[in-house]
Amino acid sequence: MMRKTVTTKLLGSMRGFPSHRVNYAVNAVARELIKSRELENDELRPLYMDFQATTPMDPRVLDAMLPYQVNYYGNPHSRTHAYGWESESAMEKARKQVADLIAADPREIVFTSGATESNNMSIKGVARFYKSKKKHVITTQTEHKCVLDSCRVLEAEGFDITYLPVKTNGLVDLQLLEETIRQDTSLVSVMTVNNEIGVRQPVEDIGRICRSRNVFFHTDAAQAVGKIPINVSDWKVDLMSISGHKIYGPKGVGALYVRRRPRVRMEPLQNGGGQERGLRSGTVPTPLAVGLGAACDIAQQELEYDHSRVSMLANRLVRKIMSEIPDVVMNGDPEQRYPGCINLSFAYVEGESLLMALKDVALSSGSACTSASLEPSYVLRAIGTDEDLAHSSIRFGIGRFSTEAEVDYTADKCIQQVKRLREMSPLWEMVQEGIDLKSIKWTQH
Amino acid sequence: MAVSAGVRSSVGLTLRLSRVIPDCSTCPFNRLNSYLNGIASSSNVDRFRTSNRHLQTSKGLYHSEAGASAEDPQEEVVNVVYIDRSGQRIPVKAKVGDNAMYLAHRHNIELEGACEASLACSTCHVYVNRDHVDKLPEPDEREDDMLDMAPALQENSRLGCQIILTQELEGIELTLPKVTRNFYVDGHVPKPH
Repeated sequence: MMRKTVTTKLLGSMRGFPSHRVNYAVNAVARELIKSRELENDELRPLYMDFQATTPMDPRVLDAMLPYQVNYYGNPHSRTHAYGWESESAMEKARKQVADLIAADPREIVFTSGATESNNMSIKGVARFYKSKKKHVITTQTEHKCVLDSCRVLEAEGFDITYLPVKTNGLVDLQLLEETIRQDTSLVSVMTVNNEIGVRQPVEDIGRICRSRNVFFHTDAAQAVGKIPINVSDWKVDLMSISGHKIYGPKGVGALYVRRRPRVRMEPLQNGGGQERGLRSGTVPTPLAVGLGAACDIAQQELEYDHSRVSMLANRLVRKIMSEIPDVVMNGDPEQRYPGCINLSFAYVEGESLLMALKDVALSSGSACTSASLEPSYVLRAIGTDEDLAHSSIRFGIGRFSTEAEVDYTADKCIQQVKRLREMSPLWEMVQEGIDLKSIKWTQH
Repeated sequence: MAVSAGVRSSVGLTLRLSRVIPDCSTCPFNRLNSYLNGIASSSNVDRFRTSNRHLQTSKGLYHSEAGASAEDPQEEVVNVVYIDRSGQRIPVKAKVGDNAMYLAHRHNIELEGACEASLACSTCHVYVNRDHVDKLPEPDEREDDMLDMAPALQENSRLGCQIILTQELEGIELTLPKVTRNFYVDGHVPKPH
């Protein structure tokens, strides 16, 4: 009702037009306005099963942040008055909370705008600092886009980058890594938990190898922090990227762990007044930093419980789906993984059509940053998935706020829709008849 | 020299007269002496830095102002080359135990030293030439922290106020970086304090 009056006013004076035309115009504008909101007949919001893309903010984090948005608004780098001092002490408290989660020293934490910035800083910064003697960087083919893009930029600058292939279970081959490290390798970057297939790399072993060969080890732990126990000293990690919005914290903030002993030097990406140890100049956003700190604190307390609960829900989902329908492949190692990220390929079903069919569950087929592109995920290609299977994969994300009912509904709906889509699929028909699809010669029309 | 000897003896006289048990640990002269002795015995205990040059009673100051004279034993002279911002090479003769930053100040080389060697800034940041960078002792954690803040950091960067010259560092070349954390884009260089 109110929408109609608002749009009528917006259209200004539509004098001289017949009333049915005005109504049509009003409805068209109303439809434009409401396109971004819920559908008109108060349809329920979809179930959120995409916890790898982002996570809702924990209400306790919001509680911690709000005073710093409203009342304690001082710049933490203002040395001369109480507004600055109170903001600075909140920022330092948050720094300690982040450090405690990964068993680091607070002085080793640098606040950034997110894991993408942290990854850019570490890879470009370390490589450029040591470029006079060391020109080689090693990474894997399953890294996040920001890591791969940073490496591409370095390649254009004249560095030598090795993109290590991974085994079919998604894990890095340690033997191959040892052989690839050269005298002039400055950095190895391997992510802890993959955001698309959920595999957990053997970071302890990689850290040990890198330390013994005197190479810096960077790991993108955005999906791992607060979900699995992390100890940067045990793991012998030199640089670690942390993301706020993956651990029920605010969006727009992250952190980078930079080891002090032995000291890691990097060329800063963002220059200015020398804040954050000169590595990332710029005012630290106190509310966001406080939010990140609170999220890390909560994650540390809830880690064990969350992990066991997510494992239970994940097992429930996978067992249900795999027992009801055949020809479902779980991508990535079944043991070495974070349980909350499940990537399943449903053979003979197109992934996008399955997503559309499951429109009341929010899922994704691959990572959010590549969901706009039409190519199948490069991560799935790297683990050797057939192209057809790669097109049919869906990523299920389970997190702190997922309920059993949601998981059951998702599993049931998924089973139902896969069966329906397979009924329609000619490939499925052929397979049922026993034809080997690989032997078919497809002709052009 | 004579002045310092006079001061030392008068202090001793006062202490003897008042029968106070001298608490040598607080007196700056004691720390300076132990520092000089420390250099001779190459120990790293209590590296005292004179923060006020007027109190500096070290032999180093006296002799280096006069330049290397015939009576100096040859072993004590260390040749240092400063390469300033314009690329000009400035050879300087120094004594063992000299501080690289104060040496530069005495020879009017534009090396800033905002915090006067108290490890609180990065303005005396210099690049050490490759041959000598490994001969310097490992930086203290506080020095590393301050170096983190220096712009245009390189692998061979050190803080000039922490480089104490020894015979081993003969021929060391210290290059001044183009900028310091005091950003003056108009070319202004603050005078030494």
